[in-house]
Amino acid sequence: MTMWYAVAHESEIEDDTPFATEAKGTPLALFRIGGAIYALYDLCSHGAARLSDGFVEDGCVECPLHQGLIAIATGEPRSAPITEPVTAYPVRIVDGQVEVEL
Amino acid sequence: MIDEVFNPQELVSTDGSQVAYEVFSSQEIYDLEQERIFRGPVWNFLGLEAEIPNIGDFKSTFVGDTPVVMTRTEDGGLAAWVNRCAHRGAMVCRELRGNATSHNCVYHQWSFDTKGNLLGVPFRRGQKGQAGMPPEFKPSEHNLHQLRVESFRGLVFATFSAETVPLEEYIGTTMGGYIKRVFHKPVEYLGCTRQFANSNWKLYMENVKDPYHASLLHLFHTTFNIFRVGMKAHCETDENHGLHSIIMAIKENQDAEAGADYKEQKIRSYQEGFELEDDSILALIEEFEVVATNHIQPIFPQLVVQQIHNTLVARQLLPKGPDKFELVFHFFGYADDTPELRKLRIKQANLVGAAGYISMEDTEATELVQRGTVRDGAARSYINMAKHQDGQTDTLITEKLIRSFWTGYRNLMGEVATGAGA
Repeated sequence: MTMWYAVAHESEIEDDTPFATEAKGTPLALFRIGGAIYALYDLCSHGAARLSDGFVEDGCVECPLHQGLIAIATGEPRSAPITEPVTAYPVRIVDGQVEVEL
Repeated sequence: MIDEVFNPQELVSTDGSQVAYEVFSSQEIYDLEQERIFRGPVWNFLGLEAEIPNIGDFKSTFVGDTPVVMTRTEDGGLAAWVNRCAHRGAMVCRELRGNATSHNCVYHQWSFDTKGNLLGVPFRRGQKGQAGMPPEFKPSEHNLHQLRVESFRGLVFATFSAETVPLEEYIGTTMGGYIKRVFHKPVEYLGCTRQFANSNWKLYMENVKDPYHASLLHLFHTTFNIFRVGMKAHCETDENHGLHSIIMAIKENQDAEAGADYKEQKIRSYQEGFELEDDSILALIEEFEVVATNHIQPIFPQLVVQQIHNTLVARQLLPKGPDKFELVFHFFGYADDTPELRKLRIKQANLVGAAGYISMEDTEATELVQRGTVRDGAARSYINMAKHQDGQTDTLITEKLIRSFWTGYRNLMGEVATGAGA
């Protein structure tokens, strides 16, 4: 069964800067694009790298290891060498708290 | 220090019948071969397409002593690249075979695609204020060294040289015909054996061009009547450079009485009283238009196509220094083999390979030459069997294929003068 976990305060998540956190031992990378906040599993599906160390551009995060792109909203791979998706978790805001369901 | 000048053409007589033993142990000659032959205008056998059927499949191998990886690319094609990272020179691929759509160097995690193109480098843009690669860094300028790759009937070859003629032309019409005899329908890769021999790679080339030794060295052959001097035979070279060749021992209908004929020849290797508990190892299911017990076909410099009875092999010859080579026997069958035929092929794999009933003596013989000649570089071999009848193709008692090989080798190596210490 999934549950919602509070992982950050909304004000901590800035445009263009990934935010590293965790819930229940699962590493998470949070991103803000415009008004929306997204959460991805914080490990690239190709190399051993934190997506929270990556660069945000055009709705994608670029992995710092090999410059492969992941779509922030869905976790889908957008360029080589990444071929497998990264898990994207549902996000909601409750009283300014960012909550992630996992 | 005195400059020492050497000339490969002086080491091999024009007609290829005399070869100075130095060619088997000299480091200088070995180094020159790597440049002039293995990186020269030849196609080097890498493996079977059937070894890498799926996208991303790869196999780690060599061209000469240069590590090379062959891959099945995303578009279903073939690629090969030198297994040396464009960054600091480490071997990128460390596995013998596998499946991957990207290949990462363990040293600094530079990542390359199946064609050897650089995908990305860690911290290219630095990290949190720390600088990364200079702005002029262009990944496309740091790909792995990519080789030309072509395949012929499912046999994959690569070349370093832009000068090499297309593969089909390199193989030639005559040799192409014999390859088609064996590769006449889709094949399946069954597995391989690997062995090292403490001798020069050219001694093995001589061996697979030498039908003269077959009935004399290989007692299993003669004892059990697989290969006899009196058999119908065919020996010929390619029509271009004479470096490829074929030896076929052809089975004829009257072979039923061959045992009796053979006894009359009183060859020393015939051993009366030797029997096999299970003679199915000697079975020969007829599956080719020309029924041969042996088809031995070196395609210079790294391939020997082999059919012995129903065992099918692509042997790969890899030099590992002046006095060492590796031999990989790639066993295969046809995709439409019946279970019985497949079982027989695998059983007959025991005839060849490192401990093969037939093949095991070959590398023993090449090592005997290596050890016998190491201190006598100027002494020469005597390769004259049937020299006065060079046009004869229907004989097994000949050394003409070896002479042709040495003449082709001499032409490839060319004239060169180098100064030791220069």
